[in-house]
Amino acid sequence: MKTIYKNKYALLLLLSLFLSSCTETYVLQSDTYEEALVVEATITNELKKQEVKLSKTAKLEDDGVVNETGATVTVKDDQGTVFNFKEDNGIYVSEADFQAVPNRIYTLEIKTKDGKVYQSSNETLTTENQIESVIPTVVTDSKEGRGVQIRVNNYDPSNTSKYYRYEYEETYKIIAPVYRQEKLVVTGPQTVGLEPNDPNTRVCYSTKASNDIILTTTTNLQEDRVNFPVRFISDQNYIISHRYSILVKQYVQNLESYTFRKTMKEISSSASVLSPKQPGFINGNLKCVSNTGEKVIGFFEVSSFSSKRIFFNYSDLFPGETLPPYYTDCTEEEFKFCFGFSMPTPCRGNVLIDRVNSHTITYKYNIESSFYYMVPVECGDCTSFSSNQIPSFWTN
Amino acid sequence: MKKIILALIILLSFNFSFAQDSNEKLTITFKDQNLVTAIKTIESSTSYKFYFDPTWIESNKILISENFNNATIDEILNKLLAKTDLNYVVLKNKVILTLNNTIHEKLPGNFFTDAPPETVNDQNDDSENPIFYKQLDTLSNYSVTKKSAVVFIGKENKDITKKNFTLTGTIKNEETGKPEPNIFLKVKNKNISTSTDLDGHYSLQLPRGVNVVEIKSLSHKEITKTVIVYDNGNLDIDINEKSNQLDEVVIKKKGQKTTETVISGLVSIDIEGMKNVPLILGERDILKVATTFPGIKTTGEGSAGFNVRGGKEDQNLILLDNAVLYNPQHFLGFFSAINPYTAKKADIYKGSIPADFGGRLSSVFDITTKNGNPEKFSGEGAIGPVTSNLSFGLPIQKNKSSILFGARATYSDWILKTLDDENLKNSQAGFYDGILKYNNAINKNNNLEATLYYSHDRFSVSSDSIYKYSNRLASVKWDHTFSKRHKSALLFTNSEYKFNIDYDTDDINSFDFGYKINESQLQLKFNYAFNEKHNFSYGIASKLYNISPGYQHPTNPNATLVPTDIAKEKALESAVYFGDNYKLSEKLLVDLGVRYSFYASLGESDVNFYQEGLPLNDATVIRTEHYGNNEVVKTYGGFEPRLAARYFFAEDFSIKASYDMTRQYIHLLSSNVTQSPTDTWKLSDANVKPQSAQQVSLGLYKNLKDEEYELSLEGYYKRSKNILDYKVGAQLLLNENVETELLQGEGKAYGIEFLVKKQVGKLNGWIGYTYSRSLIKLDSQFNEEKVNGGKYFASNFDKPHDFSAVLNYKFTKRYSFSTNFLYQTGRPITFPIGTYNYGGAEYTLYSDRNKYRIPDYIRLDIGINIEGNHKIKKLAHSFWNISVFNVLGRNNPYSIYFVTDPSGKVKGYKTSIFSIPVPSITYNFKF
Repeated sequence: MKTIYKNKYALLLLLSLFLSSCTETYVLQSDTYEEALVVEATITNELKKQEVKLSKTAKLEDDGVVNETGATVTVKDDQGTVFNFKEDNGIYVSEADFQAVPNRIYTLEIKTKDGKVYQSSNETLTTENQIESVIPTVVTDSKEGRGVQIRVNNYDPSNTSKYYRYEYEETYKIIAPVYRQEKLVVTGPQTVGLEPNDPNTRVCYSTKASNDIILTTTTNLQEDRVNFPVRFISDQNYIISHRYSILVKQYVQNLESYTFRKTMKEISSSASVLSPKQPGFINGNLKCVSNTGEKVIGFFEVSSFSSKRIFFNYSDLFPGETLPPYYTDCTEEEFKFCFGFSMPTPCRGNVLIDRVNSHTITYKYNIESSFYYMVPVECGDCTSFSSNQIPSFWTN
Repeated sequence: MKKIILALIILLSFNFSFAQDSNEKLTITFKDQNLVTAIKTIESSTSYKFYFDPTWIESNKILISENFNNATIDEILNKLLAKTDLNYVVLKNKVILTLNNTIHEKLPGNFFTDAPPETVNDQNDDSENPIFYKQLDTLSNYSVTKKSAVVFIGKENKDITKKNFTLTGTIKNEETGKPEPNIFLKVKNKNISTSTDLDGHYSLQLPRGVNVVEIKSLSHKEITKTVIVYDNGNLDIDINEKSNQLDEVVIKKKGQKTTETVISGLVSIDIEGMKNVPLILGERDILKVATTFPGIKTTGEGSAGFNVRGGKEDQNLILLDNAVLYNPQHFLGFFSAINPYTAKKADIYKGSIPADFGGRLSSVFDITTKNGNPEKFSGEGAIGPVTSNLSFGLPIQKNKSSILFGARATYSDWILKTLDDENLKNSQAGFYDGILKYNNAINKNNNLEATLYYSHDRFSVSSDSIYKYSNRLASVKWDHTFSKRHKSALLFTNSEYKFNIDYDTDDINSFDFGYKINESQLQLKFNYAFNEKHNFSYGIASKLYNISPGYQHPTNPNATLVPTDIAKEKALESAVYFGDNYKLSEKLLVDLGVRYSFYASLGESDVNFYQEGLPLNDATVIRTEHYGNNEVVKTYGGFEPRLAARYFFAEDFSIKASYDMTRQYIHLLSSNVTQSPTDTWKLSDANVKPQSAQQVSLGLYKNLKDEEYELSLEGYYKRSKNILDYKVGAQLLLNENVETELLQGEGKAYGIEFLVKKQVGKLNGWIGYTYSRSLIKLDSQFNEEKVNGGKYFASNFDKPHDFSAVLNYKFTKRYSFSTNFLYQTGRPITFPIGTYNYGGAEYTLYSDRNKYRIPDYIRLDIGINIEGNHKIKKLAHSFWNISVFNVLGRNNPYSIYFVTDPSGKVKGYKTSIFSIPVPSITYNFKF
């Protein structure tokens, strides 16, 4: 009887006391798998090569995404302009740069290689509205504890934007805490030696994009003013240890596209134990015109786009405080460098050589050539999980 | 009874020498003397002393003129008592007179064995087996529900070898004194019956011994007479007309009634008998018991609401003393909100619904409360593991007016507070309810009843939000009798249901959210027993609804959250009805009813008009119109025929058929699979059409072994229109234009229900099996309004096979063992059938709605009931119930749901509510 210990489940816990209820994982099975086309198509008012992503649904037990290849993708406007897209590694990219302009009607048409034709409904560009500011502040949340709350602000005096979707891309500087000038290399079957370390393995930059659906609406507010927490980072998260940057992307939605994403989010996170939400198929604004019974998932949206990047240092927000714990635990491990039998400390020369070769540990210090003290490779070499390329937008 | 037997035994054993002196010769002369003076003469002239009840002989006006010369006392008494019903016994110089029966020297050999009553009766020809009171003791096994004094017919004579005797008499109306013709008399357990002639005379051939004569007529109160027949005799009976003809179709008595009434698909719950059903957490629960009968289901444990014959949860009219109870359950459906100690009866109409009920499609749960004890203070209570219960009644004016009060509360909150766990400590879960009933029998023609009820629930799911909901209802009923045939009732009821979520966080946007529905109804009902064949019922009702569909008020003055108040809804629902209970012949009874309901959606409101032929959404609004207060926005209405017929194939075998149409103007909005307390009721308006349903049903009813077993087989087919459903993931709360989230479709349900009931004997209970389907179709020309391609699909509560057995075995009068077994097909579920990647995260692709099913539901409960001793004088009569719920420990899934976890993987979870056997012990007491 595995019970989920989460705050949300307090009632369930309560019931489990009285009523011995229980929640356990349920093995998924898919004896009938239905294949459907998945369309991710957001055209914006940014002048660029616009992208449309086509993929297929996968069986529950399967991992990975199968792209839909060999399709013909076109976007048309009401003035007869046709924008053709060409396939590039599963993503369909417009042949020429273009941008969506207000008061034009756009439609998306997809013809797959097996001859199915899909069409979107008519869409127009949403209200253009720029992000005013992105502001990090230190807050203490009753559930998550203390951390940095990154809020996005904007204002639409015309009060027509109303529905907002956000994506973000965060980039943060990583400094390997146990970087040493020298590194341990295997020099022979039972010999090791120290060599100068590569200085480019000390500082790295990781970039991660958001993958959840972040939505907000101002319909219940007095004016169309957004002050929305787009990202919360705990003060125990290593990503804000040094310098952190976030690029917040704002897509102004219309009611339909907002509802589509909201529904998608809601039914995937439905965790009401006692009365779950009715799940089902979410209809977007695309349909298969060649076979009306064919399922298609996705939304062709024409959104006004705006983005803003900010930087901050840990010391700006938490002056004088110790850094959050590193990416991984950097406790040193002792290796007695010998081979064969030894008492009381056993020989670990072979283990050391294996781990250095497999690049899972790095050198911290040694005592003579009989004891080596090592840490996980991430502690001394940040390139083991990140990249030492300085992003082009990075400023210090 | 036992005391009399004991006295007889003592008498017999200490007077073994009886009649030994009866050889003494006496010489006495009587001249025109009656029996009283004759006995006095004997007493004064001899040493004999007589013992008797003077009332036995005062009425005897026979004059005696006789000369006895050297006669024995036996000879004298035989002569004197020849023309009376008196017997005698001479014990030395004592003469004991007895009425009807003789005193026997010996008990028959089988006296102390438990020979079945039939055997005893069949041995009537054997004069070695005289008739004893013991047979009357066994009468309780005949389930004589009516109080019946024992009547002795004729004089016991040891020499009579006749098997049958003639009982004659006249049946008269007690009030008018007029003889009643065509009254049916039947001898229970024997194939003997007759009817009175035009002068009210009857004649029955009865076997010697105990006979239970039932006197029945539709328009009169049923009377049962227990007669002990020694010889031919006369029995005149006075009968009364049924005092309250209005309730005629409502009251369901045990026994013959199931085959006799015209109503099919009626479940009556015997609230007293319910105490033997095993309990969940020690709570006696009327509604849980209801779900063990065919055709009444719930989506699962812990889901509020009922599904009757494939209908949705909102299609049940749940009435407590005529007022609508909006949420009949506590604690998310684990307990019923109806106090079982104050309830008198529960009738559930799932098939034909009498024309005086209306407003819901599927069923009527008509629950009435007891009256307080009109004679003395009395009450009962129960102490259970989660709740305690106390109810008492007391007279205000003896035998005229009384009140009844009942209250119930949980101590779960207290338990939670004592826990160490921080989360649980801050959690809350509690409920209470109370009921107060007043009744006053003002005079012969007027009766007043009033009820007040309140229930309150409170729970918190997370530490920062508290959910509360409450029911409040009030009802007043005035019964008035114009004449014996013409009666009326005036009813006023008011019900309010509200819920509230107090969301209190550190965030400045903490808020208070609430919902409220209030309805008031005035109803006037008449009943007119026109003649033998026709019984008319008619009436008028009007109901005003007021709904506050939701408000959200920030609790922090600095909040940026705008206070939201969704515009109130108001409507008036009215109906007139007329019904004729028409007895075409002894065998064929029809009930012709029609109801016309009329509904008006009223302002003040702003109504959106949508472009015709397009799906309703914000973009298709073409204009918004303002309607002033009480201005009619939209009207709906229509006839609702209610037809039912019963035909007797044989006296204990009948067939019933019915056709019913029902209309419903109020809908429950719930985006969840099951009903929850935060679901809101929505009135029909310009954009939401009322629901309607038509049902045909056919049933066969048979009683076996003289009503020991009741069998019924019922089938139904139901179509419904404008059933409410929702777009996937609909936003129903705080939505100004909730119609844009709604879908209205068609429903289809059919099923066959089989029930065997045994109400008497050591083993009693019922076994039911149902095969039924419940389907919905949501079709539209627009994809966003279509579910499962516009084809019929199984509803959330479609559970084709349903078997339940509730059995109770009485070991002794004090100990009984009961079991409760349930089997149901698992309910349908929308299953994830695939995944897809969108915006870098994995999402679930769901199957067609309700294409799969969760595993079957199987549960066995057992209970032991121990009654306190049966001493008459003690402080309180007690009753222990020890139950184990889910003895098999089966992990019945209540729900299966799917979550995309933060790493983007789809995970399935299964929730069970009672996954291990749950024991409970409850102490009940009566004072």
